[in-house]
Amino acid sequence: MSSGIVAMMLGVSTFLGALGLAALLWGLKTGQFDDTSKFLDGARFDGEEELRDAVMMEEKKKKALEKKREDKRVMPD
Amino acid sequence: MAKIRCDHCHLEFDESVMIEDGSGGEKKYFCCRGCQGIYHLLKSEGLDSFYDKLGNTKLNPPSEKKDDDLEKFDLEGFKKKYVKIRDDGFYEISLIMEGIHCSACVWLNEKVLHQTDGIIEASINYTNNKAKVVWDPDVITLSKIIETIRSIGYNAYPYDPSLQESRAVQKRKEYYARILVAVFATMNIMWIAIAQYVGFFTGMRADIKNVLNIAEFVLATPTLFYSGWIYYRGAYYGIKNRFVNMDLLVATGATLAYIYSLYAMITQKGEVYFDSVTMIITFVLVGKYLEVLSKKQAVDTLDSLLGTAPTEVTVIKDNEKSLVLVENVEPKDIIEVKPGERIVIDGIVVSGGASFDESSLTGESEPVYKKEGDEILSGSICLDSVVRYEAKKDFSTSLLATIANLLEDSITKKPKIEKLANVVSGYFSVTILSISLLTFLGWFLLYGSLEKSLIVAISVIVIACPCALGLATPMATLLGISTAAKKGILFKEASFLETMAKSDILVLDKTGTITKGKPSVVSFEKLKDFDINSLYSLVLTSNHPISRGVLNYLLETCEDLKEVPLNNIKSVEAKGIEAEYTDKKIIGGNLELLKKNGIDFYMESENSLFIFAFGGEVKAVFELKDEIKEDATEAILKIKELGIKTVMLTGDNEKTALKVAKEIGVDEVYAKLLPQDKFSYVEKLHEKGSIVVMAGDGINDSLALSCSDIAIAMGSGADIAISVSDVVLMDEKPMNLYLAYKISKRSYRIVKENIALSVIYNIIAVPVAVMGFVNPLVAALSMSLSSLLVVGNSFRIRKDR
Repeated sequence: MSSGIVAMMLGVSTFLGALGLAALLWGLKTGQFDDTSKFLDGARFDGEEELRDAVMMEEKKKKALEKKREDKRVMPD
Repeated sequence: MAKIRCDHCHLEFDESVMIEDGSGGEKKYFCCRGCQGIYHLLKSEGLDSFYDKLGNTKLNPPSEKKDDDLEKFDLEGFKKKYVKIRDDGFYEISLIMEGIHCSACVWLNEKVLHQTDGIIEASINYTNNKAKVVWDPDVITLSKIIETIRSIGYNAYPYDPSLQESRAVQKRKEYYARILVAVFATMNIMWIAIAQYVGFFTGMRADIKNVLNIAEFVLATPTLFYSGWIYYRGAYYGIKNRFVNMDLLVATGATLAYIYSLYAMITQKGEVYFDSVTMIITFVLVGKYLEVLSKKQAVDTLDSLLGTAPTEVTVIKDNEKSLVLVENVEPKDIIEVKPGERIVIDGIVVSGGASFDESSLTGESEPVYKKEGDEILSGSICLDSVVRYEAKKDFSTSLLATIANLLEDSITKKPKIEKLANVVSGYFSVTILSISLLTFLGWFLLYGSLEKSLIVAISVIVIACPCALGLATPMATLLGISTAAKKGILFKEASFLETMAKSDILVLDKTGTITKGKPSVVSFEKLKDFDINSLYSLVLTSNHPISRGVLNYLLETCEDLKEVPLNNIKSVEAKGIEAEYTDKKIIGGNLELLKKNGIDFYMESENSLFIFAFGGEVKAVFELKDEIKEDATEAILKIKELGIKTVMLTGDNEKTALKVAKEIGVDEVYAKLLPQDKFSYVEKLHEKGSIVVMAGDGINDSLALSCSDIAIAMGSGADIAISVSDVVLMDEKPMNLYLAYKISKRSYRIVKENIALSVIYNIIAVPVAVMGFVNPLVAALSMSLSSLLVVGNSFRIRKDR
């Protein structure tokens, strides 16, 4: 077996593993594992409606931020 | 009558008391207007899928609406204290939610908040009922948010998230992330390393070996510099404070091994030690993480105690009411409190009278009536009417603030006993570093080869690296904690096991610790015939321990007890209860109550009396005694067998104290003590150099508890006693005191064994390394073996003996 193949195998598998690790660390950092019971029950209450809610919240935030910026632009007058 | 389930809270009640509601087509039943209101609100908002999610969980019916305190949420002082203004202009607050029963409640609250205009973010943690809410102050006010939460039957109050707890959580998270990286790298390096080990014996092509080396290098680098950062930091602080700690040893060992491996990889000479680098870091990091995990949790009751306290109070000046920040109130100001408000400043009532709930201070559930001239303490809650009182102290010297400070102090300023493992690891690190230096010099002088001498010297540090030593204490203490927890003994921090094992004196409180704290009837004398049901109904109306004792006795001895209607029920403070039954006065209480009612009756007893009189005639006499807990005598005997001196401190009179002391066999007893006396007694023991364990349950013990080395509180004791304590007994048997001693002594012995094991391992392994026989395989094997040995030995704590 050539060393190139060994290097590729090692590289690919380590990279895949590292992707999993990165996802786990991201989840940890954003607080997705903070609440174990909610984490487990989340699956039961998940659905289309919840997704719509999440989108709605993001839009609401965006709108509120935009409004704030507009207010600021008006203020200096 | 048939029981019917309320359609909102799912509690069952008799059909007759239920509210019928047919407005939605289908007939619904509710137990109260609150439930009905919420049901319709949810239905009209299209949130009735809440009930499907709820399943069979029962809720608390919503409490009476008391929205008059809402304005306080918008006050400037409140905002300054709890609200965080974010960079993007939104406001953020941390809340503790009340009334969360299940995940459906979390769902409902989040859903309702999400649908409210102006709320940007709302997330509720189900495990600890804490919530984070972010809102746009231009659209909605905080009081409106709280009102929304209350309208669906829950409540919320703020807490200060900068408390220790969130810092501890942050630290735990950081360690966890570092461990994840370290474990990932170690696991991957190990299977690469196995190929290396095989190649070491059978030979391997140089190009393959190179590839493996580089792969190991890639994995070891983040481990050393990300996961291992903790050691560099620890070593830096150690050197700054001029002492050698284990962090320095680990940091030196791992770094030197890493640098040497780098050299070996580039020059393609010799073996790489990357696997040892990651293994050292991972093993010791796991030990450190276990230590962080078992650090004392900060006190949540402190949050709720201060969280519900108002930030401003109504001060009356020249007949005008004004809201004043609590910090600005001065002694002699007149303060008005409304029902439901918590007192924050100590004072004396000047007009009006009301009942006060002092349960958070004393643990006593009975409300206390205060009238003009009586002292009211901060921390109590005004229950039923408006009272004006004169402030006697300012906020910072009031009881509530004092207690809060005391609690914070007791967490940070506990008398620290130097831990065995820290002492050992200090000496150990110095020894290993010097042996390694000597090895280097020895090899260099004998053989003159710089490279070989360096390899041997590094291998000494690597093999001696204290994986086993790092795991020795945390592993044993964590298992000790979990074993104790299974028996209902909660150690708040791992190191308390060691402190308790070293203690030589046990100080006990009497009431609630040795005795039951609940008097029970020891003799009953029926003087004349009477209707037992009237007595039953009378004692049913009071929560006082004596009435409870009589009630329990009646329930045990009589059958067919029926409640009869009583009129004009009145409880007389510290005397008893009065009522009217079929136009005749019935009273139940002590001798003083009889005297007050003009009944001539006398009787001598060393126990508490409960006398029942019907229409001015004494009918029955009960004698009640606070009984000693069943296994108290045996527990004290066994504790004494462990060589621990037992002392009983009590506020009770000498006669009772001596009697109890003699019965259970404590070594010394002190009676008629005030809380300060108990405190100074414990301080005196400290001066003599004793390590004091104190067990108690009330507010009167909490001062002494806070200054003892180990404070044990009973699970049902006052909140404050539990907060300052280090160990909580959920099951209040005195035998658990003995068990706590036994478990801590056993854990301490295992800690010592573990340390001995790792030292023995080093005595064998270090000479081998000094002689230069260590290769990567030997290093990896010996490291895992010694760690396994320590972990295996620790599991012996679980064995019951």
